[in-house]
Amino acid sequence: MNVTLNWLKNYIDFDFSAEELSDRLTMLGVEVESVEQLGVALEGVVVGKVNSICPHPNADKLVLCQVDIGKQDALQIVCGAPNVREGMFAPVATIGTELPSGITIKQAKLRGEESHGMLCSEKELGISDDAAGLMELSSEISVGTPLAETLGLNDTVFELEITPNRPDCLSLIGVAREIRAETGNELKLPEVKIQETDTDIREMTSVTIDAPDLCPRYAARVIRGVKIGESPAWLKQRLESVGIGIINNIVDVTNFVLMEYGQPLHAFDYHKLGENRIVVRRAVEGEQITTLDEEERELTSDMLVIADATKPVALAGVMGGYDSEITETTCDVLLESANFQPASIRATAKKLGMHTEASYRFERGADPEAVIPALNRATQLIVELTGGTVCEGVIDVYPGKREPVNIQLRPDRVNFILGTTLETDEIEKILSRLGFGVEVSQSKDSYKVTVPSFRGDITREIDLIEEVARVYGYDNIPTTLPKGDIPVPVSDISVEVRKRIKQFLLGSGLMEAVNYSFRHPNCFDKIRLAEDNPLRDALKLRNPLSPEMSILRTTLLPSLLDNAQHNHNHQINNIALFEMSTVFLGDEEPGRVAGILAGEIGGGVYGNPSKSPDFFDIKGIVEMLLEVCCMTNYTFKKTEDPTFHPGRNVEVLLEHKRVGILGEVHPEVLGNYELPYKAYLFELDLEALANVADFSKRFEPIPIYPSVQRDLAIVVDKEMQSDMPIDIIYSTGGDLVDSVRLFDVYVGDQVSDGKKSLAYTITYHSATETLTDKAVNDLHDKVVKRLGQELGAELRM
Amino acid sequence: MKAELEAIQAAALEALKDVKTADVLESLRIEYFGRRGKLTEVMKGMGQVSKEERPIIGKLANEVRASLTEAFEATKIALESRQQEQQLQEESIDITLPGRKPAYGKAHPVMQTLERIESIFTQMGFQVVTGPEVETEHYNFDALNTPSDHPARDLHDTFYLTDGHLLRTHTSPVQIRAMENQKPPLRIIVPGKAYRVDYDVSHTPMFHQVEGLLVDRHVTFSELKGVLVSFARQMFGDQTQMRFRPHFFPFTEPSAEMDISCTVCRGKGCRSCGHTGWIEILGAGVVDPEVFRAVNYDPEEVTGFAFGMGVERIANLQFRIPDIRTFYENDLRFLQQF
Repeated sequence: MNVTLNWLKNYIDFDFSAEELSDRLTMLGVEVESVEQLGVALEGVVVGKVNSICPHPNADKLVLCQVDIGKQDALQIVCGAPNVREGMFAPVATIGTELPSGITIKQAKLRGEESHGMLCSEKELGISDDAAGLMELSSEISVGTPLAETLGLNDTVFELEITPNRPDCLSLIGVAREIRAETGNELKLPEVKIQETDTDIREMTSVTIDAPDLCPRYAARVIRGVKIGESPAWLKQRLESVGIGIINNIVDVTNFVLMEYGQPLHAFDYHKLGENRIVVRRAVEGEQITTLDEEERELTSDMLVIADATKPVALAGVMGGYDSEITETTCDVLLESANFQPASIRATAKKLGMHTEASYRFERGADPEAVIPALNRATQLIVELTGGTVCEGVIDVYPGKREPVNIQLRPDRVNFILGTTLETDEIEKILSRLGFGVEVSQSKDSYKVTVPSFRGDITREIDLIEEVARVYGYDNIPTTLPKGDIPVPVSDISVEVRKRIKQFLLGSGLMEAVNYSFRHPNCFDKIRLAEDNPLRDALKLRNPLSPEMSILRTTLLPSLLDNAQHNHNHQINNIALFEMSTVFLGDEEPGRVAGILAGEIGGGVYGNPSKSPDFFDIKGIVEMLLEVCCMTNYTFKKTEDPTFHPGRNVEVLLEHKRVGILGEVHPEVLGNYELPYKAYLFELDLEALANVADFSKRFEPIPIYPSVQRDLAIVVDKEMQSDMPIDIIYSTGGDLVDSVRLFDVYVGDQVSDGKKSLAYTITYHSATETLTDKAVNDLHDKVVKRLGQELGAELRM
Repeated sequence: MKAELEAIQAAALEALKDVKTADVLESLRIEYFGRRGKLTEVMKGMGQVSKEERPIIGKLANEVRASLTEAFEATKIALESRQQEQQLQEESIDITLPGRKPAYGKAHPVMQTLERIESIFTQMGFQVVTGPEVETEHYNFDALNTPSDHPARDLHDTFYLTDGHLLRTHTSPVQIRAMENQKPPLRIIVPGKAYRVDYDVSHTPMFHQVEGLLVDRHVTFSELKGVLVSFARQMFGDQTQMRFRPHFFPFTEPSAEMDISCTVCRGKGCRSCGHTGWIEILGAGVVDPEVFRAVNYDPEEVTGFAFGMGVERIANLQFRIPDIRTFYENDLRFLQQF
C-alpha cells in the first residue's frame, strides 16, 4: 500500500523527514519497501510570468520574451509557442534543467538571440500529451515557485509492506496511528458535517441481512441529485499519488475514503436496484452476476452477495455489479459501508481469482466501527463535489456487534518474555499511545487492557507484549546469551556416515550436485526401468509447475544423467558428479548417494593424461566408499538391471543384503540422454549403510615377524572369475596367508586360446614365528597343487 | 734412493693434476701403488739400503707413501663431487611442466553455506535434527498456528500431492515433531529442503532452509537477539551491523526480521539493498503460545524462540549470482567456482 508524506500530515503532526519517517515506520513493523520523491523530474522548473514580448529579428515564428521568475532581472527566453502572450503565467525550465525527454536546458543562441531557459508545454514536462502550446498556470501563484510545489508534486510516496495481521494499517489514518505511537501527538481526524434533507432514508430504501454470520454490519445512505463528473484536481492528485486510477467524482470519493479510513465503500445507482432495496444473502448456486470488470461470474452458494429484491448487484466485499454501477446518467446514489466476515471474502476472492482493494482489506479484517465514520465522510465529500442532497438518517444493520475485548496484562510477564526491565508507567504509556484502554487492576500487578475495535489482531497477553516490544524498539531490548542448560547431544551414526562418504567422494574428485526433487514421469522410461519396478510408483504433484517437475524422484540416477547431458551439451565432458539426497518412496524418505563418471577423467595434461573411465573406476569408488565407512564385508553380485549394460553391472551386497547397484550405463539409456560416450553410475542406500556402519576401532598389533612374498602366475579358463583362485589360496593357507593381490591379467599369444593368465602376489606371514623358506615353499606348493586340482590351473612358467 | 723417492712423488703429484676421470685415476693408482707400481718397486729396494740410512730412507718412504695416498684420495673425492655436480646438472628439468594434481571435488555452494550455518549453531550447543519433506497440513500449517483461512497461508504457495499431502513450505514442521518427541530443554536446528510454487531469477521451487528452536523454562527475546547477533557476526564478519524489525509470523509472537548491513555497499545504500543499506536475512520470534499448546507444552511453564533463514539467499549474499536457478543446473563450470 502507498501513502504520501503530505497526505499523512493531514491526520497527524510530525516533523520527520521522509527518510526519518521511513526508518521509524520500518522499525515499528510497517516496513517501507521504497521511497519515491515525486516531482523529481520537474526539478529546475519554476513558475514564470511573461512580462513582455517582442518579435525575433531573424525568425518569423519565434518571439523574444522577458520572463520574470522572481529573480532581480527578467530572463530573455526565445519562444515559438502559439499561445504565448504578455502577462501569461507558464512553467520555465531554467538553465541546467533536465527535461523528461533527456534534453538538458543550456544557455543558447537561437537564430542569433540569447535564450536563458525554456517556456514549456505539458508534454515537454512529461505531465500530459498536450503539446499544443505552453502550459497555462494560475496567475495567483507567485513567480519563482517550483512547479512541482504548485502541482502538489513536492511530496514523497512510501510503498508499505503491511503484514497480514495488520489490516488497520491499510489506511492513512491507520498509519497515522502508528506515528502517534511514536510521537504521542494526537490524531487529526476529518471533521464531518452533513446537512440532511427532510426525506427519511427509510422511505427510500431498506437493508435486510439474511446471512448475519457473513455480514456483521451493513450501513447505507442515500444521496440524491448528484451530478456525475470529473473530480477536482486535489482529489485526482491524491489518488494518483498513491497509484489509484481516476474514474468519476463518486467513485473517486469512495476510493479516497477507502485510503483514508481503510473502509471499502460501494456506490450503487439507486434506480438500478430492484425495488430500491438491499438484501445481503448467500448466492443461489449457479446464480450469475456481471461484475464491474464486465466479466460474467457464476456464483456458488457459499458466496455472499449484495442483492436487490431479485438479483445480485454486487459480490459482497469483492467487487460491485456492472448493471448497478455509477454512470454519467446516475442522479441518486445508495452508498454502502459494511463489514464482512474475513474467511468468506477470502474464499470468494480466491475462488474467483478476484483480488481487489476491498477484498484485500476485508479478508484481513476491517474495523466494524469504521463503517459509520467512513460512510459519513464519503457522504460529506460527495455532497461537496456533486451538489447532491442527503436523505435524513443512516440505515445501520449491525447484527454482529461485539463487546470490546479486555485482556489482562502482567507487566512482569512483559519483562519476563522480553528480557527487559521496563517500568509499569512506560508500558502504560506505550499502550495508551496505541489506542488501548489501560486500567490498573485492584491487585496492581496487572492491567486490564481494552483493545480498540480496529485491532482485531490483539486477543492475548502475548499480543500486547509484542505491541510493547515494537514501540519500545527491538533495538532497545538488551542482547544477551541464553542462560539455560545446553541439552546433551545425541550422536547419530547416519550423520557420520554421510559426512565420511561426502569427504571421500570429494577427495576422489567428484563434484557435488544438488538437483530438484521433481522429475518428469518419463524419466523411468528413459532409464529403462522394468514396467513392474516399484520405483515407478512415484508421488505426483497436484499443482506442478510443469510436466518436467510433476513427480517426486524415487532414484537419483535420472538427475545425474540429466546433469551429464546438460554438461555435454555445453562441451564439458569431464563428468564426475555425485549427489546425496532423500528420495520419495511411498511414506518413506530414505537417503541415497549416487555418482556418475562419464567422458574423461584425469588431469588432461602432459604427465597426467585424461582417460575414459571404465567399470573398475566406478567399482573402485564404491569399494573405497564402503571401506571409508569401515565396511569390508561387501561383495558384488552380477545382476541384470535394464538401466545398465547386461554384462557390466552388479548389485552391491553388505552382509548378503542388497545396498545398491553400480555399472556401465546401457547404450540405449545413453542414447536417451544424448551422451556420445560411456557413462558409469552407482547408487547406494544410505540408511542401509548407516544400519551396519560401525566406527568403533581397536588396536591390532603390528606384525613382529617378517612376512614373505611369493608371486604366482596361473593359466586358467578365460571365463573364470578372478576371485576364485583367491578363495582357494586363502582356504589353503589359512592364517598364514596375510593377503592375496591380483597384479596381472593376460590374454594373448603367450597363452593358448580360451585361456588367460592370472598373476597374484601372495604374502605369507605368521603371528608367532619367522617363517622359514622351507615352510613357505611347502605351503606355496600346496597352494599351487590345490589350484591345479580344483580349478585346472596350470602354473605359468 | 732419496732422490728417486722425491722424483716419484713429484711425478705422481704432477700426473694427478691432469686426472679427469675415475678410470685414469685408477690406472695412475696402479702405476704407482700396484704390485709392480713405481712406488712399490722402490720400496722393494729398501733391503739394499745401508743400516745407517735405513731409518731415514724408511721414514721418507713412508712419508711419500702417505702423502701420495692422501693426494690420490683427495683427487678421488674431487672427481666424485664434480661428477655428481655434472649429473645433477644433466637432471635439471623444466619446472613449468604441469604438476600432477590429485583430483579433488567441490561441495555444492548451497551445501557449503548450509554446513557453515550448521557448524556455527552446533558450536552454540544446537543439535541438528531433520524431518520429512512430504508433510501434512497439520504439521506444516495448523500446528504452527496457521489455520486454513489464515491470510498468512497466501505467503506460501504450496505444492500439494495428489494424495492430499503437501511438500513442506518451510522446515518448521520439524520443530513440532521435535517438541512432540522430546521434553524441554530443546536447542535444535533443522536444515533441509523446502518447497514453494515460485520460479524466477530469485526463487527456485525447491530451496534450503535452516530453522532453529530453543525452548527452556525461561528464554527471552533478548536471548534470541544474542544468539542471532552472534551467528551473524560469525557468518558475515565482526564489522557487520545488525538490526531487528518487528514482523509477522503466525508461529511466533513477538516476531522479528533481522537485517544486516548490506554486504555490497556496507550500509551506504545501493541497488542490491534497494538503497536502504540493509539486507533482510532471517525471520525469528518468541514461540507463540498456540504452538506450545499444539504440542502439549504449557506456555506458562516454558518459553522459547525460533528462527529460520533461506540458505540460497545467504549463499548469494556472498556469491552474487544473478539468477539463483543456476544453483540447480549443476553445470561443472559453475560448481568449479566455489
